[in-house]
Amino acid sequence: MNKYFIFISLLCALCACSGDDEEDKDMVKPSISESGIVASPIDCLVLHKGDVLPFRYVFEDNVELGKFNIEIHHNFDHHTHSTSALECELDDKKQPVNPWVYNEDYDIPENQKKYNAHLDIEIPEDIDTGDYHFAIRLTDKTGWQTLKAVSIKIIE
Amino acid sequence: MIIPLLAAALFSCAEPDSAVRLDDVIVVGNATRDFQMKSSQTALQINRDYIDNNFSGSLMQTLEGIPGVKAMSIGSGQSKPIIRGLGFNRMAVTENGIKHEGQQWGDDHGLEIDQFNVDRIELIKGPATLKYGSDAIGGVLNLYNNFIPSVPFEGSLNLFGRSNNEQLGVSAKIGGRKGRVFYRANITLLDYADYKVPTDSIQYYSYYIRLKDKRLRNTAGLENDGSVMLGYMEHRFQSYLRISDSYSKSGFFANAHGLEVRLSDIDYDHSCRDIDLPYQSVNHFKILNHTTWYNDHMSVVADLAFQNNLRKELSEPVSHGYMPIPDGSLERCFDKSTYTMNLGTSISLTEHNELQFGVNTEYQDNNRKGWGFIIPDFETMSWGAYVYDRYEPHKNLQLNAGARFDAARTHIHSYYDWYETPLSETESVFLQRSAELKRRFTSVTWSAGASYNKNNWILKANIGKAFRMPIPKELGVNGVNYHIFRYERGNAELNPEESYQLDASVIFSNKKLYIQFDPYLNHFPNYIYLSPTADYVEGLQLYHYTQAKVLRYGFEAQLNYKIDTKLELELKGEYLYAEQQSGEKKGYTLPFSVPWSVDAGLKYSFVCKGDGFVGLNAHIVGKQDEIVPPEQPTPGYWTLNLTAGKQFMLHKNTLRVALHADNLLNKRYYDHTSYYRLIDVPEPGRNISMMIGLQF
Repeated sequence: MNKYFIFISLLCALCACSGDDEEDKDMVKPSISESGIVASPIDCLVLHKGDVLPFRYVFEDNVELGKFNIEIHHNFDHHTHSTSALECELDDKKQPVNPWVYNEDYDIPENQKKYNAHLDIEIPEDIDTGDYHFAIRLTDKTGWQTLKAVSIKIIE
Repeated sequence: MIIPLLAAALFSCAEPDSAVRLDDVIVVGNATRDFQMKSSQTALQINRDYIDNNFSGSLMQTLEGIPGVKAMSIGSGQSKPIIRGLGFNRMAVTENGIKHEGQQWGDDHGLEIDQFNVDRIELIKGPATLKYGSDAIGGVLNLYNNFIPSVPFEGSLNLFGRSNNEQLGVSAKIGGRKGRVFYRANITLLDYADYKVPTDSIQYYSYYIRLKDKRLRNTAGLENDGSVMLGYMEHRFQSYLRISDSYSKSGFFANAHGLEVRLSDIDYDHSCRDIDLPYQSVNHFKILNHTTWYNDHMSVVADLAFQNNLRKELSEPVSHGYMPIPDGSLERCFDKSTYTMNLGTSISLTEHNELQFGVNTEYQDNNRKGWGFIIPDFETMSWGAYVYDRYEPHKNLQLNAGARFDAARTHIHSYYDWYETPLSETESVFLQRSAELKRRFTSVTWSAGASYNKNNWILKANIGKAFRMPIPKELGVNGVNYHIFRYERGNAELNPEESYQLDASVIFSNKKLYIQFDPYLNHFPNYIYLSPTADYVEGLQLYHYTQAKVLRYGFEAQLNYKIDTKLELELKGEYLYAEQQSGEKKGYTLPFSVPWSVDAGLKYSFVCKGDGFVGLNAHIVGKQDEIVPPEQPTPGYWTLNLTAGKQFMLHKNTLRVALHADNLLNKRYYDHTSYYRLIDVPEPGRNISMMIGLQF
């Protein structure tokens, strides 16, 4: 009885030490980079209402890219800052009247490890001028996500 | 100041001339053996002495010294229990036999029970749904605060403090028994400031947050608890009514709550003790009646309880996407009422055979409010019936087996956004976030095992099946989780989660040595898992609920060796491995996987006008590379901790001083299972907790 139990216990202890997890698990997040291109938008970019906002970034992943999302919202209340955004000069705080809200999801063609994102976003004529945040979110097929946020300014 | 005082108290005494008695230092005594032989499950009994001596701020942090138990820190010095890596709705907490029903699913909800009013704790590691119903997959934490006073009047007063978040608290208890009537009452008041971390700044995504005085902004809080109990007892009959209320209010870390890292006009650094937005308040009210009737061959126990959990989360109103700036700061409110009725009978069929059977019924009603949506309104009715037999064919051998049937019916209500979302230039709609849904669930669970003891050995083995009903969040959620920056979608098709587990326990003890080894093997055919996808919804990454096969195994081990009458060595450790074996994340582990850990401690006990001890402990935690998106690997670390306690006899009263110093070297480290790990907040730095208690 005694020995039997010890045997079982030892067996459990042994199997606890023999994890065969050498499968290929994707442990790498996708990346948003400026490699080989002139990236846009970058921090402190100033644009006019009615202009086209060029979006140029390079997405890369070790396995397969997923999707991406672009979101633009106002920073009239100075609610966030990033390391680099601190250097951009911000307008005075103000109340939003008709702020620009942009939130679009984009597909990336299947089986891509590298993708040159190239979009032209029209800036509406009727929006409030001021400081905005431009946020890029990128996933890979596994579900890892990378985020990049830059500060831009829209003027008349 | 505290340390010299305590040192003076410890060393001012000469060698004791009285006979050395260290009985309570020996972990296993006859009582422990009897307890261990009662069931084949891996179980542990923790008494008030252990809780007082190891007091470290919160009940769950105090229990963290037990292998296999973790306190998942949720900020504000609050924490929620994890047994063998399973927390939330995969373990159950009971108070006096009644399952505690708060909002267990939440990442930032603590345990709404007065931790200073616990007489004893019974911890079951492993499947225990047989007696406790849904949820008790990882284990059960049974808290008892129903000791019946034995004298006409007794009481205690405890004062405690904690240096890291400048917490101050007081807890008072009185009780008494006169003839057939007894009573108890208690009150606990706690207040704490923002807690400190050993860093000047936190970097999250590309955001860089500076901290003032190394304090985590707005994590201050308070807690007020109270209870009264009135009982009646006579020969073979006993009944009591207990009413309790627990209220807490605590701030959320101001810079990383909500959709994005935010700065605010609120001057958080003005005071470290005030609670600004965002914050949460939780009120848990409970009324319960426990009645026991027994004769020589039979006992009947009846429990009736009502509990209401009212939880509010308040934050600064902000617009997001098409949601305009909402009115007021009430982001979410959950109002959940639970009615419980348990009836259990135990019959001694023969001197060596005991049969138990019973029924549990529970009705839950949850209502939501606020501008943020995460879980829909729902009502759930569930009941279960069990039968369990314990047989002792030999004085050293105990066999037990049981089976249970459960059925539940849940009704989830539909929910529509309070604002319109444009579909085209001319058309806009109130989006539906939750669909009307009615589901019925049934489940059959069972358990069987044996315990055997001979000489200095106790051997136990148990095999069992456990389950839990999917919760309405898993079935019906469809919205932005403002806490974790993600969009969550439920799955109305989910089946009850089932788990099969094999447990064993080997205990050896003699006068000098105590060894315990508890391995387990656990298989889930359909673990309910919130899986991150590559998709976006409303600008946030979509996470959806799926079910996957999961294999988990691990063990806990403990060794205590009494070097001499005063010096005791303690080694304990735990290891856990988990792997998803099917589904989208095949090959990955489960979220918040507990890394291996080892504790090595030395304890010096002495007697000098009352018992006393000083202990030094090294807590070593391995790195955790087994992660699943969106987690990051967490490096290993070690901390040095000191515990000391001393009792003083003052006439007929006992004065007890307990000191706990955590992270003496003020190391900066991350806890893989902490809620704030995802936003890169390190664990608290050096912390000294102290408790002074007077029993009269």
